[in-house]
Amino acid sequence: MNRNYLFLTLIMLVLAAGTLFLKKTPEYKQIKPETLLWDIIQPTRYVSTDQVAKMIIDKDPSLELVDVRDVNSFEKFALANAVNVPLDSLLSPVSQDYFGLPGIKVVFYSNDDIAADQAWVITRRMGYGGTYVMKGGLNQWIETIIQPKEPREDEPYTAFEQYQFRKGVQMYFTGTKVENTIAKKKKVVVRRKKKQVAASGGC
Amino acid sequence: MNTQTKNNYKPNYINPYLGGVLLGLLVLLTVYITGRGLGASGAVKSTVVTTADAISPTLAKANAYMGKFISGDRSPMYNWLVFESLGIFFGGLLSGIIFRRIRKPWVEHSPKITSKTRLIFALLGGIFFGAGSQFGRGCTSGAALSGSATFALGGVIVMLTIFGTGYAVAWFFRKLWI
Amino acid sequence: MGPLIPNGIITGDWNFVIAILVGIAFGFILEASGFSSSRNIAGVFYGYNFVVLRVFFTAVIVAMVGLLYFDYFGWINLSQIFILPTFWPAMLLGGVIMGFGFLMGGFCPGTSFTAISIGKIDGLVFTVGLYLGIFIFSESFPLFKGFYNSGNLGHVTLTDVTGINAAWFAFAFVIIALAAFWVTMLIEKKVRKKITEYKF
Repeated sequence: MNRNYLFLTLIMLVLAAGTLFLKKTPEYKQIKPETLLWDIIQPTRYVSTDQVAKMIIDKDPSLELVDVRDVNSFEKFALANAVNVPLDSLLSPVSQDYFGLPGIKVVFYSNDDIAADQAWVITRRMGYGGTYVMKGGLNQWIETIIQPKEPREDEPYTAFEQYQFRKGVQMYFTGTKVENTIAKKKKVVVRRKKKQVAASGGC
Repeated sequence: MNTQTKNNYKPNYINPYLGGVLLGLLVLLTVYITGRGLGASGAVKSTVVTTADAISPTLAKANAYMGKFISGDRSPMYNWLVFESLGIFFGGLLSGIIFRRIRKPWVEHSPKITSKTRLIFALLGGIFFGAGSQFGRGCTSGAALSGSATFALGGVIVMLTIFGTGYAVAWFFRKLWI
Repeated sequence: MGPLIPNGIITGDWNFVIAILVGIAFGFILEASGFSSSRNIAGVFYGYNFVVLRVFFTAVIVAMVGLLYFDYFGWINLSQIFILPTFWPAMLLGGVIMGFGFLMGGFCPGTSFTAISIGKIDGLVFTVGLYLGIFIFSESFPLFKGFYNSGNLGHVTLTDVTGINAAWFAFAFVIIALAAFWVTMLIEKKVRKKITEYKF
């Protein structure tokens, strides 16, 4: 009997001592460089400003716009319901909560698409799926959505269709802009990973 | 032969270390599935709130403590810990059946005290434990066991004070037990 | 990956089924280990039966060490599990009150439920006491509301407070528990020789 206990004591000691040598594993899984490269050369991560505009207007619940510019630029102008995660704080634990939610499309944008693309590469490397980049960034947004150019007469019919769409969108964003910003200040719908289970009272 | 077995009667409990390992694994499994540990006193709290709410809803809602646990749409009994505590009862029943420990209702007490004394002190002990578990945000299973196992400071505080006090006052209550 | 329910891997609908199953396992272990008897439990304070110490501390160290391995293998995200909030003044007092209750009643809430299930009236009376105790607490709550909420340190772990790696705490607990198991084995042998009224 005592010999068995001695044996168990030793097992427990070894297991406990073993925990002292455990290295903290990173909280995310990194993907292979080959996979990353393959993903980078695919254009599928880009969404156009038209698509983003449509999703905003449709109030698509799966859209999560992430502004990777600095705080000042974000406060001056931002897309509706966007959250601000400056590129330099992308790795902070708070920022991590926005990524990797099932069924949510995270769309990065910056002034152009370089910073957004960099953010995308980093999140992709951390193993998060469902992240996208708004092609052309806010510059493209202004060009296409806020001040769309009328196509020349010899352009194909689809160009006119697109123009019509953009004109409509422009009305939506510029015409109701004031109302929009107020609404934004009141309530930004932000989805985050749930931090803790609501445990009602102790034992 | 008969008296021999009677004197050497051993309740066939399982090995305490086996019980401990199983309990530890259960805590682990529960944390893995639900994100939190076991509990027991929370179910009694829910019962208190529910009965108070049934008898006098206005008074219960006005109560600074109970009011927190009353939400309009759901009964406080619709709670994880209440279901878990029901399970505790049935688990005990199952074990009692398997190990043949179920008897007609009886009072277990030290031969030095009467049943009545035992019951009075059981009631007092319950009152103390009930009130204490609210101060401690949990009892031995919720705070001391699950709390300590998840390295929560509060769990360790509760565990040390329960057992520390127990040893400190054991002498005064020795007649009850030995 | 884990915890499963908060991460939506198991939906909330299963919550109560799991609660009952976990409860059954919990009750079974408590009863089978002998926690349905108050005299077994109280024995830990008099040295004639250390079953509480053995079961309780084995459970704590197994769960602690297990959690660390679960974390290492990435099976559970420790930042997502519920950490009991620490209100140290109320917890100190609560622990002391529960210590008294333990010695008088010989049960704790979970064990008293299993005592009822095998037909012990003292277990039932203890549970009634629990009910009354919580009721009295609720009714007199305004008197000590300030005290109850004082000293709030939040959901802190030992590591948050001390900055020492959790593995060291687990290791320390394991050493203390294992030492206690061996020492109490000897104590129990000695004490049991003197006690005749109690059948083991």
